[in-house]
Amino acid sequence: MELKFTEEQEMFRESVREYCQRKITPVALEMEKTREISIEIKKGMAELGLLGCTASPEYGGSGLDAVSAGVIGEELARADPTGSIPVFYLVQAAWGFVLNKYGTEEAKKEVFPKVIAGEYFLGIATTESDAGSDVGGTRTMIKKEGDGYIVNGEKMYISGVREAAEGGGGHLTIAKQNPELGTRGMTMFYLPLTADGITPTYIDDLGREGISCGGFAIDNVKIPKYYILGEENKGFYIVHEGYEFARGLIAVICAAAGLKSLENGMNYIKERKCFGTAIGKFEEINFRLAEHYTRLNMLRDLAYKSLWTIDREQQGKGSRFETSKAIAMAKMFASDWACNAINDVMQWQGAFGYSKECPDQAAWRAIRSFALAEGSKEMMKMIVARELLGKEFIAYK
Amino acid sequence: MRFIVCVKEVPESIDVKFDLKNNKIQDESISTTLNPFDQFILEEALKLKKDEDEIIAISIGTPQTKKVLMKCLALGADKAILLSDNVFIGSDTFATAYTLSKVINKIGDFDIIFCGQQTVDGNTAQVGPELAAQLKIPQVTYVESIDKFEGKKLLVKSQTDDGFKIVESQIPVLLTGIPPSSFTPSLPPLRNIIAAQNKPCIIWNFENLGGPRDKYGSVGSLIQITKVYYPPPREKGIMIVEEPITAVEKLIELLTKDKVI
Repeated sequence: MELKFTEEQEMFRESVREYCQRKITPVALEMEKTREISIEIKKGMAELGLLGCTASPEYGGSGLDAVSAGVIGEELARADPTGSIPVFYLVQAAWGFVLNKYGTEEAKKEVFPKVIAGEYFLGIATTESDAGSDVGGTRTMIKKEGDGYIVNGEKMYISGVREAAEGGGGHLTIAKQNPELGTRGMTMFYLPLTADGITPTYIDDLGREGISCGGFAIDNVKIPKYYILGEENKGFYIVHEGYEFARGLIAVICAAAGLKSLENGMNYIKERKCFGTAIGKFEEINFRLAEHYTRLNMLRDLAYKSLWTIDREQQGKGSRFETSKAIAMAKMFASDWACNAINDVMQWQGAFGYSKECPDQAAWRAIRSFALAEGSKEMMKMIVARELLGKEFIAYK
Repeated sequence: MRFIVCVKEVPESIDVKFDLKNNKIQDESISTTLNPFDQFILEEALKLKKDEDEIIAISIGTPQTKKVLMKCLALGADKAILLSDNVFIGSDTFATAYTLSKVINKIGDFDIIFCGQQTVDGNTAQVGPELAAQLKIPQVTYVESIDKFEGKKLLVKSQTDDGFKIVESQIPVLLTGIPPSSFTPSLPPLRNIIAAQNKPCIIWNFENLGGPRDKYGSVGSLIQITKVYYPPPREKGIMIVEEPITAVEKLIELLTKDKVI
């Protein structure tokens, strides 16, 4: 057993960390006001090869595996407390992996070069007003018409709507093709948000201000056949591979954001005095620090292990279910543990911790989203229990 | 053309711990990186490089030093050679220059040798000039930029105490580089890091270089480190908390007593 990153992964980390220190951290909190990731940062990320990094080299990507993608996510999460850039990155890495694996040659050649150059945004759109983690509740419909397909419905709480609708790009989307077949009648496809019939709407999120959140109505939108991912009616299975990739990255990002916040906290409690002594000497504080640090490192290890199971599965050495379980275990407490740590760091910093000048408040608001995003923590428990007890113990069946 | 770039692995931070017993830096206490002066001169070499040219990065160190050579490859060098052997341990600048000259002679023809002006740990600025002397080639030091390179001639801008001078040189030549304040080191993109894994990175030891053993390492060095120690901690200062006039009087009294004034 050897628990270490490869030389190549360490080089990725060094390059990305240096970039983040130069270009992201100094301006990260500005995104709370500008509400966008600057063109300069998108361009810089593209030049480093961070966008669409999981796409194969023939489409201009670096063909990164899941662990390597995690290394990059970790560094971005350390650098940007608003969580905007980590989300911008992780969505495109995870769903780029799906497009790369299941997309047609034509779609990949059309979409990837622009995603990798930072011109297009590639997102995921499964959630609807009445269907979140329960993908089977999707109401959006897709049907064949002539050489292509027609899509109707509405998606909601989607990241990167403005980026794709105004800047170009689209979202991997799921819809029911044969509703009578339930989850076995769902098809996944690439939906450009610049298509006729798409009407975007926007929602103000609690955090992650640099990346938009919203929804879009889909009114008789025509898409060509080559936008279909994999086979028709197999979308439910395909979408979970993307979710799992994203969930693993989210777990790493939560651990990184929490640990970064603890570093901020440590710097503070070593200096700040109360009753003439550094507050870091009080056990109420330093015991909590020790607990959070231990918990977040457990999370980090579990998160990387979960990404490693994805890579093993892709190499034909692991099963789908093994991956699902490992990923769900990693994501289950990721947001809670990181938020609890960040919340304590805010507390240690007193009134400053509650001010908008404090990066930790931005981190708390961003990381809180991950208890829901890409599958709620409750859903993660359901997956683990299902894998332990068997499908016959799924409550809703 | 063949360009050879000599690089060194250095501590990333000045916050290093010393192994006082063995008179050296405690290796395990530090994270390391490519010497910034070396990255600058490597990037100058890359600016000159045409498709048919070859850049070879060389370094002396432990197997861990491979990481800085991999960075050179990711930045655009074509090939790397790591010189790693216990025989090389304890080299001063003279023995280091000798070792580098042996590897360069083994490589064969070259056109320009690039060295950083100095390293951020040793700060001697001697290895480059000593290497040029060993190879019996001309050298230009404190090079800030290479302004022209045509045929066998190059024009370089070299820093001086009160400005800079433009120097014309024939090749082969050795240049030592010092980055201008505007220099920002390039970051290798992911695809170049991946490509670097497939470039040759050869490890050579003493046997590969040959020559008398007593020319290498601490035995071949003209300087021996006899003691490594931390500077003594500063003594506690005296705080005078008085009204300004009284404070000044007390200060004068203390300075007079210590014969400072």
